[in-house]
Amino acid sequence: MWNWEKTPLTWPHFLVMLLGTVIILLLALGVVTYTIYWQRRIIAWMQGRIGPNRTGPFGLLQTVADVLKLLIKEDIVPEKADRVLFLIAPIIAFVPSFVVLSIIPFTMTHVFTAGLGIGVLLYIGFSAITIHGVMLGGWASNNKYALLGGMRSAAQMLSYEIPLGLSIVGIVLMSGTLDLNQIVLKQQQMGWWFAGPQFLGFIVFLIAGTAELNRTPFDLPEAESELVGGYHTEYTGFRFAFFMLTEYVYLFAMGALVATLFLGGWSGPFLPGWLWFTIKVFLYINFQFWLQASMPRIRADRLMTFSWKVLLPLALINLVLTAVLKVFV
Amino acid sequence: MSSLLENTNIREEEMILNVGPQHPSTHGVFRLVVKLDAETIVEAEPVIGYLHRGTEKLAEDLQYTQIIPYTDRLDYLSAMLNNYALCRTVEEALDLEIPERAEHLRVIVMELNRIGSHLLAVGSYLLDLGAMSPFLYVFQEREQIVQLLNEISGARLTYNYMRVGGVKWDAPPGWLDRVREFLPFMKERIKMYDKLITGNEIFVDRTRKIGIYDTEKALSYGLSGINLRSTGFKWDLRRNKPYSIYDRFDFEIPVGQTGDCFDRYYLHILEMEQSVRIVEQAVAQIPSSGAILGKVPKMIRVPAGEYYTGIEGSRGELGFYIVSDGKDKPYRLKIRKPSFVNLQILPELLRGQSMANLIAILGAIDIVLGEVDG
Amino acid sequence: MFGFLKGLGVTLSQLPRKNVTLQYPDVMPVWPEHFRGVHRFIPELCIVCNQCARVCPTSCISLSGTRDENKKMRIDTYDINFDICILCDLCTEVCPTEAVLMSDTFEMAQYSRDNLYLDMKWLYENQLRYEENHPDRIQAAEAEAEAEAEAEKAGGAE
Repeated sequence: MWNWEKTPLTWPHFLVMLLGTVIILLLALGVVTYTIYWQRRIIAWMQGRIGPNRTGPFGLLQTVADVLKLLIKEDIVPEKADRVLFLIAPIIAFVPSFVVLSIIPFTMTHVFTAGLGIGVLLYIGFSAITIHGVMLGGWASNNKYALLGGMRSAAQMLSYEIPLGLSIVGIVLMSGTLDLNQIVLKQQQMGWWFAGPQFLGFIVFLIAGTAELNRTPFDLPEAESELVGGYHTEYTGFRFAFFMLTEYVYLFAMGALVATLFLGGWSGPFLPGWLWFTIKVFLYINFQFWLQASMPRIRADRLMTFSWKVLLPLALINLVLTAVLKVFV
Repeated sequence: MSSLLENTNIREEEMILNVGPQHPSTHGVFRLVVKLDAETIVEAEPVIGYLHRGTEKLAEDLQYTQIIPYTDRLDYLSAMLNNYALCRTVEEALDLEIPERAEHLRVIVMELNRIGSHLLAVGSYLLDLGAMSPFLYVFQEREQIVQLLNEISGARLTYNYMRVGGVKWDAPPGWLDRVREFLPFMKERIKMYDKLITGNEIFVDRTRKIGIYDTEKALSYGLSGINLRSTGFKWDLRRNKPYSIYDRFDFEIPVGQTGDCFDRYYLHILEMEQSVRIVEQAVAQIPSSGAILGKVPKMIRVPAGEYYTGIEGSRGELGFYIVSDGKDKPYRLKIRKPSFVNLQILPELLRGQSMANLIAILGAIDIVLGEVDG
Repeated sequence: MFGFLKGLGVTLSQLPRKNVTLQYPDVMPVWPEHFRGVHRFIPELCIVCNQCARVCPTSCISLSGTRDENKKMRIDTYDINFDICILCDLCTEVCPTEAVLMSDTFEMAQYSRDNLYLDMKWLYENQLRYEENHPDRIQAAEAEAEAEAEAEKAGGAE
């Protein structure tokens, strides 16, 4: 019953797929809840204070309380705003972040994964759709500050997609396939993870990934102390929560991608596959929080310069070196 | 640019943006009306007065000792220095002699307060630029300083510790030892800030070559303190016009080179080091016992005339100008507030800059709204 | 070129250190002896000299007294309008008999302005509360007063 790739689609198969989707959705929401909690905890420990520790034992129910607060807030839609676009912008932003979870192999038997041959390309393509959601959110708010913020955010996310994609191409060259399952198998075969030989690509991917996620030091769209508010200025209550949810599901998805592409996915001695996977994603997420606690923000005009003039040449150099080594070595 | 638009129906107009009184980065209730042309600032106009409490007018009705609690609340981050400026002016007018132990205690608490004020300036500057951790780190040292000052004066922020002729209370037993223990901890933390912030490329990129002015412009605007020293002009009232017992201590006056925002930030760090040196020497030199209040007449009547004394506050030259007609209450008290004078250069610095630099420039001028409005 | 890596190292090194948080409502801060909280008042010692009301910069103290049978002034009412009080401590400085002092009560949030108009009864109760909480300080103050009285007597006898 599990190999629906090879047999025709019937009703039980469809129901099982639906069930699987719901389970992954709940898993993603659970991960987001405790990622937010863990973020506040670990940044607090780095700053010499305690994070949330009062709501629930050890503060574990803090995010639940926050989401409840957001749910009961008044739902304001500005009068002159483009109503339809305003309402669907968060959905357009969120759905791709959830879809890209389908290509990540969590374990060796990759139970809930779609066995797509073009895995990596799907990730890049779908994460670009979120940019539409962001732009629509900024435009439909009918607020000049939200528009500026939305445009700026869209420009940032778009220009950092390119080094992201190019750094992945190095991996694709080395492993000969776009399928994420095969890439993990190849790393297991090779004996060492791609982070070693593709070191330059790894660095470029980390930096471009941070910019994609709108995290410090590239978090201008969300900056509260900068001047104009971001694309989510006019959103309140649950719609705002949707944008935040998008960001954290992307954090999980990017972590999963880093773990799969560069750190060997579920492969590793002794421990079961899903545990290795969890450890690697956890390491990446902690790295992101560590970066957030330590760095100031890059200026808006420097953002673009950095992407086009620094990251893109580095990614190209990585590509050329990989190609040369592959052909002649 | 406008020639391209001549034959079209597109209308170009300047946008007026209000960096409102409620804003996380304006260091208080400060409003800036900014006229923008795309992303470039054409004109900026500060609007102040949201925190005006009428200190100078209230002072006309109060005796000199009663004014001291009000001076605490001007630049609330360096309250000891404000107290001292008023007491110094009255003491100069009356030509009083201050006992040795009182002078040493005064210097110790003033320099500790200066360290605390610089710490907060650095922390909030970095918070504006997006780094959230240094803000929390400075509060660890500040908490120790504030506790020390709490033990000696009874309050954490509004000390009311100086009196005309001396100080209010003597140091409790063990206080000087605690100050002595605090100093190596402070030195280590300054090194930590150097590692965390000064070498950080992102920070340097955001503050280097931003908001530059030269000595001539600084002097013509009447700037003082770190804003003046960042241009390379060595002027510190503790050295050039020594007051209290500062001429007995060995400390340097750090100056900047280029007059940009990075220099101003870095001078905060260097000045903290020098203040730690002064406190070390003062704690070593303080006489172990002595009077803490000199011979002061029962009713403090300043003889008729005009008196002005300026001291080196943590933001610049802090001065009190008293016009007296012989009574025990001043006829007119005018406070020369460093933040108010330093703020005047802001519109000039912002002209032609892009919006992204506004926060960096405003933070580097380091204003406290309690002082600007008074 | 890689200066920001040092910054990352600093943040990481702070991780294993102990936190500096005081978990406030469960753990109360410990204030030093000279701490300036709300006033406390001992009616027996007051001689109604009015110095505190005159020195107050915001004029928040008002008091009244009458002469009793021994021709001494006794205090009738003593009110501090705590709305206006700036906790400057000048009133305790000028009091010749140390009848009004500062305690370490600092949680004075009330639901109505009327509750902030502290009368003599409240201030005396604050004194009793202070004595209960800090018996060591009261003892030390009494011992010091006794020692001073002894020294005066010895000096007077000579």
